[in-house]
Amino acid sequence: MMASIRIALMSIRLVMRTKAALFFTFLFPLLFLFVYLGFFARGNPDADLYYFGAVVTLTIMGSGFWGLGMQSVMQRERGSLRRYRLAPIGPGSMVLSSLLANYLLGLPTIALLVVCAMGFFHMPLRFSLLTLLVLVTAGTFAFAGFGLTISSIANTMQEAQVYNNVIWFGLLFLSGVTVPLPMLPQWIQRFAAFLPATYLVTSFQAIMVKRESLFDLGAELLALLVSGTFGLLFAWKLFRWEKEERISRRAKLLSVTFIIPFLVMGTWMNAHRGLGAWEETFSLMSRPPLAAGQHAAPADGNLLEDFENSQETEILLQRWQVSTDASAAGHSLGELDVVSPGSAGSEHALRFHGRVAPAAGSDHGYVAVRYTFLLAPRDPGPRGIQFDVRGDRRLFQIRIERPGEALGAPTLTFVPDSGWQTVRLPAAGLANPDASSRGGTTWVLEIVADGAPGDFQLDLDELRLY
Amino acid sequence: MSNHNNGAVVRVEGLSKRYGDIEALRGITFQILPGEVFGLLGPNGAGKTTTIEILEGLRQPDSGSVTVCGMAPAQEPAALKERIGAQLQATVLPDKIRVEEALELFASFYQHSASIEMLLERFGLAEKRRSFFEKLSGGQKQRLALALALVNDPELVLLDEPTVGLDAQLRRDIYALIEQFRAEGRTTLLTTHYIEEAERLCDRVAILDRGRVITLGTPRDLVESSGHGTRLEVRLAKPVLPSRLMQLDAVMDCREAEGRYFLHAQPPAPAVAALVRFLEAEGNALLDLHIAQPTLEDVFVEMTGRRIGD
Repeated sequence: MMASIRIALMSIRLVMRTKAALFFTFLFPLLFLFVYLGFFARGNPDADLYYFGAVVTLTIMGSGFWGLGMQSVMQRERGSLRRYRLAPIGPGSMVLSSLLANYLLGLPTIALLVVCAMGFFHMPLRFSLLTLLVLVTAGTFAFAGFGLTISSIANTMQEAQVYNNVIWFGLLFLSGVTVPLPMLPQWIQRFAAFLPATYLVTSFQAIMVKRESLFDLGAELLALLVSGTFGLLFAWKLFRWEKEERISRRAKLLSVTFIIPFLVMGTWMNAHRGLGAWEETFSLMSRPPLAAGQHAAPADGNLLEDFENSQETEILLQRWQVSTDASAAGHSLGELDVVSPGSAGSEHALRFHGRVAPAAGSDHGYVAVRYTFLLAPRDPGPRGIQFDVRGDRRLFQIRIERPGEALGAPTLTFVPDSGWQTVRLPAAGLANPDASSRGGTTWVLEIVADGAPGDFQLDLDELRLY
Repeated sequence: MSNHNNGAVVRVEGLSKRYGDIEALRGITFQILPGEVFGLLGPNGAGKTTTIEILEGLRQPDSGSVTVCGMAPAQEPAALKERIGAQLQATVLPDKIRVEEALELFASFYQHSASIEMLLERFGLAEKRRSFFEKLSGGQKQRLALALALVNDPELVLLDEPTVGLDAQLRRDIYALIEQFRAEGRTTLLTTHYIEEAERLCDRVAILDRGRVITLGTPRDLVESSGHGTRLEVRLAKPVLPSRLMQLDAVMDCREAEGRYFLHAQPPAPAVAALVRFLEAEGNALLDLHIAQPTLEDVFVEMTGRRIGD
């Protein structure tokens, strides 16, 4: 064990002294981060979290395939393993040292990604770092097994590159790392259930976007750990010190059993669990314009939301969408939470909080929350919308509109204080729904924290029509 | 240093090894005694490296038995590696590892290790301790490889072609280091295809050819027992049949190569006189004459009909 630690520490030192290795270990993952969060997420905090999971998965996969796997083959081809072979250490020490070096190099990379995602893209830290660490550990373990298995069966660098490319690109495009799984045809989603990268990326997205715990991801974690164990056992048994040594066809075939945990997992997923969990995470992230059936609608005639059913928090949050001034180079942040107690003795309320941080050179930033609801035709129609508020003494603006179309109603401003008060927004349009929309009309309520820089907090409850 | 197997540190019996169609070793047998510098001498492809790698535990023999420090390399590899030090024909380390780091890293693998400072001083690497492996010259790399072979203060040192590719000065430096091993009482096995190296350094030499030990003994015994006598190398103005030169007084054999005639004579003086008389009678002339004592090269030529470098 001590020999493995010493070799691993030396390997890390050698990486730190090699510019190309430094680039691919630390800077290359940052390029993915900037592409994914900059181009795909575009300031949506949920999308930041969703795509951050993909970036972390890419980083772990990359180090497993191209770092660890290729390095082992290169050392063997170069003949530098022979010198180790003369010392009283065995293949197990070499395999373990590779795993350790890979893991210890990966942790600062992931930390750098978290810091950059928060610093440059204002990604909210809605997940436990410990949970992230456990998942990174399981993922590194699984893909180290993958990389080392490939390095064990590949006789040359060229052969390893061929194997890596085939598997790498397969995982890249079919597992949800590049294209979100719910955007792919269902038959690909069914196939993706057999891929290890799928479990890693969807697990990251689940803990970050859906705030699931590790207990919710037991099956995924088990598959990653079993697969990693298989991989490392193969790497140990098939380890070769000399480039002249060739692996038998039988051993190559045997190593395919590495994928057994994922065959079992994929079959189980397809047969029992279904693919809905991926869809759910994606919808939480993307929050596309809601279909008619998904819209909030008055429950008791007038009540739209009272936030009392905390079990439906995630579904509730789908209807509330935060947007910021990120697209205008601002750094403002906004988040939603369900808090206790609510107004008028109720148990829960919705908290909209964050920080207004304008872009350099600007005095005003922008954080808004938009609530989408469906209003069925009725007679008489409501005259407006009201809700209870309390919060910081800051100016907030509210307006109600139909998607893509300003209603023309005046914007109302209010300043909450620490006690609950009711705010009413008259909206004549609510009483005159579109006659052509028999199923109802979609409306959006927008609440904006005023542009002055600083923290803000606003609690909302008892949202109803009047 | 402890003795094993009736005094032998290394005992090899009937060792055979085949690579596909090629028989690398064909039943070789030898023993190495404690404190001895033992040489395996032979041309490329004779089986020297295969033999030493079997002793190191890097390769498995097809048949035969091997005991090193009282252990079978295949049975107790870790225990054996604690007691031997080895230098490979080509030692490759990571480019960016420093000299001192390499010694410290490899020393850390052993239960007992030598002083790194002492090794740096002894192998002339103290000034290069912070240098990367990639920045070392060929001689410095070779000295580092030798230092690595000694990091565990071994009782048996196995050196595979330790001076190959080095210039004369560096070779002499390595010779001095190997002579130090002898002075310290370490048992040393070295492979070489340099006659000078084997004659100068080795207490005993096994000459290998095509996977067989063709003769074994001290360099002096081998030369004396070869029966070749003194070697005369001559260049003549006109060609002459070697068979006619063989008829001269005291000449034991003669062969011609590239316009030169190589004669062995015992004793040499009458042979030289007879050669001069013969050339005068034939109207021929002596352009060049070298007289030398026989060497291990002559022994090899006598036994194989080829030169070691062929």
